[in-house]
Amino acid sequence: MNKLLARKTGLGALLTGLILILLAGDVMAHGERAQLASMRMRTVHWFDTKVEPLNVKVGDIITVTGKLVTSEWWPKHMPSIEDTVFLNIGVPGPTFLRLHSEVNGVPMMRSTAFPLGKVYEYKTVMRARVAGRYHVHPILNVKDAGSLVDKGTWLEVAEADGDAPFVNEITTLTGETINLETYGLKGVFTWHLIWIAMGVAYLLYWLVRRELFIPRFIRIREMGSDRANELMTKKDFVVSSLFFTVALALILGGYLWAEHKYPITIPLQTGLVEVEPIEIPTGGLEVEVDHATYDLAGRSLSMQLKLTNNSEGPLRIGEFLTANIRFLNPDVNEGEIYEGEEMISKDGLTVSVDTIQPGQTVDVELVASDALWEQYRMTGLIHDPDSRFAGMIFYYDENGERYFQEVGGAVLPNFF
Amino acid sequence: MSEANASGLTETEVKARALDLKSLDNPRAMKLYRRFDGIIILVLFTFLVLGIQIQFTLTAGDWDYWIDWRDRRWWPLVAPFSLLLFIAPFTYGIWERVRLPIMATAVTTLLCLVSWLSRYLNFYEFTHFPLSFTFPSTYIGLGILLDCALAISRSLIVSTLIGGGLFGALVYPINWSFMAPYKVPVEFNGMLMSVADMMGYQYIRTTTPEYLRIIEESTLRTFGGSVTPLTAVFSALCGMVIYALFLWVGSWINGLDKYTKRII
Repeated sequence: MNKLLARKTGLGALLTGLILILLAGDVMAHGERAQLASMRMRTVHWFDTKVEPLNVKVGDIITVTGKLVTSEWWPKHMPSIEDTVFLNIGVPGPTFLRLHSEVNGVPMMRSTAFPLGKVYEYKTVMRARVAGRYHVHPILNVKDAGSLVDKGTWLEVAEADGDAPFVNEITTLTGETINLETYGLKGVFTWHLIWIAMGVAYLLYWLVRRELFIPRFIRIREMGSDRANELMTKKDFVVSSLFFTVALALILGGYLWAEHKYPITIPLQTGLVEVEPIEIPTGGLEVEVDHATYDLAGRSLSMQLKLTNNSEGPLRIGEFLTANIRFLNPDVNEGEIYEGEEMISKDGLTVSVDTIQPGQTVDVELVASDALWEQYRMTGLIHDPDSRFAGMIFYYDENGERYFQEVGGAVLPNFF
Repeated sequence: MSEANASGLTETEVKARALDLKSLDNPRAMKLYRRFDGIIILVLFTFLVLGIQIQFTLTAGDWDYWIDWRDRRWWPLVAPFSLLLFIAPFTYGIWERVRLPIMATAVTTLLCLVSWLSRYLNFYEFTHFPLSFTFPSTYIGLGILLDCALAISRSLIVSTLIGGGLFGALVYPINWSFMAPYKVPVEFNGMLMSVADMMGYQYIRTTTPEYLRIIEESTLRTFGGSVTPLTAVFSALCGMVIYALFLWVGSWINGLDKYTKRII
């Protein structure tokens, strides 16, 4: 009876597991919500991220462009982006080939360093390699700190026309055109087979014999360790010498053969490259943060700012950006929305003063509110051990010219 | 009785050992021993393949995963260090108990086979990396040299000096026969790169940025830029020291059987 019950329970558990596996959906997020809210707000502000085209075939080219500002509110306890950083792209492994990447016009095959409070324009060109649906994120890998992820854009990659295998050709400085997908594999397979055959042959010689572990153990125990070497025969000596000689000859012969066949080789290349940063175009607006509060129930961040317009024309605040979330002011309606763009609140920003006239100093309240605060786990701001915020405000002159700068400071929670 | 006293064994133990020795002339006993030997090989090799895979992955993983990690300075030092500290204790145990010089070859061959399995299934089939970028290195020839040095000299000290030294020194040469094509120079965006660097750049690894590679960097402390031979000499020295040190660890582990006797 107990046996029957156990069988039924086991079968039930197995079926439940199978059903759960079948019902499981795709993973839809890739860490963009995982980091602490204040870390996402105070590290890098990504904007103007554009992935195009969004529907391609294997072999087609995709371009990812955008800008970023390194935050002056970068947490002091965290290793800085001013030391070592690498522009990367968040895709599921080599489903794409990276053909080119640059920051402010400088090629980014290697790592670099980004001073804080500056603008960097990046571009990554990829070629689709494996068909599928992918969430593409620009990423900055910061040495000793971790990865800073921009929001993702969904990209559809269809199979290529025809059955031809994917080819990735480059030309070396020795003038040879090679396909990196299969380059050098013939030599790799040949040499590995030679060594595996040698290893197996050596093991077979020692393991296929009448007396192996137990008989030899009994004999050595009887003979004592002083006489144990008597178990090694002359044949063992000769065969071992032969294997030793052949192995050494193969190693040295293979080395000399490769030196002869590939006379021009270089060591792996590394080292930092330098990028000239771009100054933030503030457009003559002075910003002073008086205080900021986060309203937990209202899911909104309210900022009291003192703004002085030192430019020659009126300015209007059109957008607030923090932790990759865009809050747009519907009254200004200037910020461009890109195809497939996520994490955007089209009417999430209210500004108490519509236009700041030239020479005017005004107290302005900016309120960024949307359910996105909750959705992207920004409410965790109140649980952070360092309750400060940072973000970018974007504003426009009368000709629609865009300016921006970073704001930041302490933030107090409002629980009621 | 006197024989038992002289060897420190009980009379029963002496009788049991005599019977064991006699059993070697018994065909039925030998048949049984051969079956047990088969089981020992199966268990030992399973343990070795799992152990070395985990140990090598944790200590020298990236250097063996990616062709753009196999540099002239760090990889030839890390790989033999990682392998010899695993091989040495087993070599001591098997040599002392059954006089079989096989452990270095067994470990390196099993590592090679399991690495190929992992690269094919995990890297090639599952994550789409080309095998030309992720093929494993080989250390089988070094294992054979180490075992043969022991078999020829029948001395752990001599095998440490010759085998351990060669194991450290020849990591780069044994792999150069098929690794050289990946160090051919390429010009890309006005910068010099090797084919391996180019592959590392093109085949995207989201969480393995370029700076993460622990590879040779320029230094003022060189002898005319002779990095490879200098590393080989230093690696040979390290190979001897590590091998000797972990042979001692093996001897210590081997001595633990006195506690099992007490328990039994």
